[in-house]
Amino acid sequence: MKFRCERDILADALVTASRAATSRTSTHPVLAGLRLDVSDDQLTLTGTDLELTIRLSVEVGMDTEGSAVVPARLVTDIVRALPAGTVTVETNSDDVIISAGRAQFAVRPFAVDDYPAQAGPDGEPVSIDAALLMSALRQVVRAASTDEARPVLTGVLISADEEGLWVVATDGYRLAVRNLGAAGLLTSGQSVLIPARALSELQRLLPAADHVSVRFGSRSAEFELGTTYLSTRLIDGDFPNYRNLLPSSHPNTLTIGREALLEALRRVRILAQDSRVVRLSLGGEVVELTVVAQDVGNASEAVDARYEGAEMVVGFNPDFLAAGADALDGDELTVELNDPGKPVVLRGVGDDDYLYLLMPVRV
Amino acid sequence: MVRSVLHVDMDAFYVSVELLRRPELRGRPVVVGGAGRRGVVAAASYEARRYGVYSAMPSAIARRRCPHAVFLHGDHALYSATSTQVSEIFNRFTPLVEPLSLDEAFLDVTGVRHLFGDARTIGERIRSQISDELSLSCSVGAAPNKFLAKLASVAAKPQVTASGVRPGEGVVVIEPGEEQAFLHPLAVGRIWGVGPVTLERLEAVGIHTVGDLAGADGALLASVLGARQATHLAALAVGHDDRPVEPERASRSISHESTFAHDLYDEEAIRQQIVRMADGVATRLRAGVLAARTITLKARYGDFTTITRSVTVAEPVSSAPDIMALVAPLLGQLHRERGVRLLGVVASKLGPPHRQLSFDDLDEVRHRDTDRAARAIDEVRSRFGTGAIGPASTLDAGGLNPVRQSADAWGPDDLRGPRRVEDRDETCETERRAEE
Repeated sequence: MKFRCERDILADALVTASRAATSRTSTHPVLAGLRLDVSDDQLTLTGTDLELTIRLSVEVGMDTEGSAVVPARLVTDIVRALPAGTVTVETNSDDVIISAGRAQFAVRPFAVDDYPAQAGPDGEPVSIDAALLMSALRQVVRAASTDEARPVLTGVLISADEEGLWVVATDGYRLAVRNLGAAGLLTSGQSVLIPARALSELQRLLPAADHVSVRFGSRSAEFELGTTYLSTRLIDGDFPNYRNLLPSSHPNTLTIGREALLEALRRVRILAQDSRVVRLSLGGEVVELTVVAQDVGNASEAVDARYEGAEMVVGFNPDFLAAGADALDGDELTVELNDPGKPVVLRGVGDDDYLYLLMPVRV
Repeated sequence: MVRSVLHVDMDAFYVSVELLRRPELRGRPVVVGGAGRRGVVAAASYEARRYGVYSAMPSAIARRRCPHAVFLHGDHALYSATSTQVSEIFNRFTPLVEPLSLDEAFLDVTGVRHLFGDARTIGERIRSQISDELSLSCSVGAAPNKFLAKLASVAAKPQVTASGVRPGEGVVVIEPGEEQAFLHPLAVGRIWGVGPVTLERLEAVGIHTVGDLAGADGALLASVLGARQATHLAALAVGHDDRPVEPERASRSISHESTFAHDLYDEEAIRQQIVRMADGVATRLRAGVLAARTITLKARYGDFTTITRSVTVAEPVSSAPDIMALVAPLLGQLHRERGVRLLGVVASKLGPPHRQLSFDDLDEVRHRDTDRAARAIDEVRSRFGTGAIGPASTLDAGGLNPVRQSADAWGPDDLRGPRRVEDRDETCETERRAEE
């Protein structure tokens, strides 16, 4: 294998593929590697941790075709540090030689045969607008759990019914639901549960694409964006029946400027260190946000708002509340409340396609 | 303005509280604490002190010096409750109360002299109110600062002599200008911060009294003690001390620990002790309207090496089951084969008991609401006493035996230990009465 490539193009490709390689290599050391395949003036880079796979191709100047598996972190660091210009990569009998200008590195590769084989595409491809998918992921992925103890909650549910396509995530404390209408990814009654981590990686790739070609197989989901490909295993298990969580009524409604609320939260949460609670005093023309940090101090800010309902004080994790307000579209948002122990619903005014349900903090 | 600081020290506090409910022991040597094999003396009556029994002395020595003394188990809950009553009297005079322990406190009365009279008057009023309402006696030192006030209260104490106990003055006031006259005759060892090593060094250069110290050459002192300590002691020697009286601050941790009469090897026995302490810690957390984010398991082995293992979580805990859930995985890390002499549970990173509610909280059936259970336990205990309800692990032949607040503060307690010893004495009866 021997090829030449511009340093910046090669470095970007290595960074992208490395995001799927893993540093947790106790059982499969080769998974800390990236597979490089060169043929027809194309370099294809593959990274995988067996759950998430990212593969992409870039054009290179090819001398000799061939394959190698190189340590992902090390080679990425090397290429990024090389002088600008053309980088040459070639294999000899023992090493992978990486050179540019007068710098040269010889790196011990992994055995190509040890690298796991990649399954071929599974299922019929369906196309979806990249910007639409991007907006849904931006709003929903944030609510998924990172706690591996409850694997089902580390996934994002995509399901279809007669009302269209739903993208849903919850970590047990909050729930984000986006309706994508007739996006046609799935037929009514179908659903898949995709690891949120894979969708976070997909979010990084989406801005470069117009359309995404999606395949849902029985065990995996695949996304193709031009010459870049991402596949992920699906999560087994039943997603909680989230519709039961949506309150059927809400006697109290707060309407508030989205940016004003976010600004105030950004300020007062400076003091929400260990206590991690911001109190909202509801009842008048303004909402009073208060944070009290024991032995440290306190912060408060009044934000103009409209409120219809009973006077109450309700506590929230300021990060969760800000994440909800940030996810919404529109200049104003509504907070629908029952009582300080029940979930509240955040919606953007004029936006019926998204809601963010949040459990309060008992204070 | 010259400050007026009082140091109020209860006279033989634990013993005096015990005598209130056992008046038949009045006049006899009484020792609190040290009833067990490894105990230490928490307090001794003035009669016992005549035989050379003092607090912090190992019980074995106390028994040797005064074999006919009555040894009582400590009843910390009772002393604590009584101490609270004493504090309430202090609070009538000033909010600036700095408790040092259950039986002594500093009060800054500078700002309330125009309301209640001078320091002596306030001291005497406090003494008489404590005496009238609680039937307890105390000694009061009044001075322009904490250092002198504490020395003055010692001078006000009853005196133990070979022929008997001589009542003290009750209130001793060091007026501004009298500091030197009061201080200079005192032995230099009476100054805070003069321990055995410092004392030896001072005496080696001929400094025996506070007066010697005050008159000593600064360069000499610095060469003997180091510059910092020399400056510090020289200031105290002339009666100078500007530390403020600081009202009680919020505590940074809450803990229970127990030394056992016999080292523990059995996993279940260790677990039971931990459950018992987790319950005690949780109860005190809730009493303070607090919750903890860090729980630490402390263990001391038979060879006296001590280990601690901690776990910190995002959601603060304040119930025994929640604390146990954090401690249980740590128990596996103990080297039981070395014998466990002491166990402790510490709750820290304390804060308000906020809890991020989860969707599981909406499911009344599935959710194990430890908060509600804890509230019910607190309610039962407030009406029927600490022993009315507790973890099943604290059940022993004598019934439920949960942790009383710092009940083990003065050492191991054989009667409540996992293995009971045979040498029961009259204190056993006292203990039961305390529980009733």
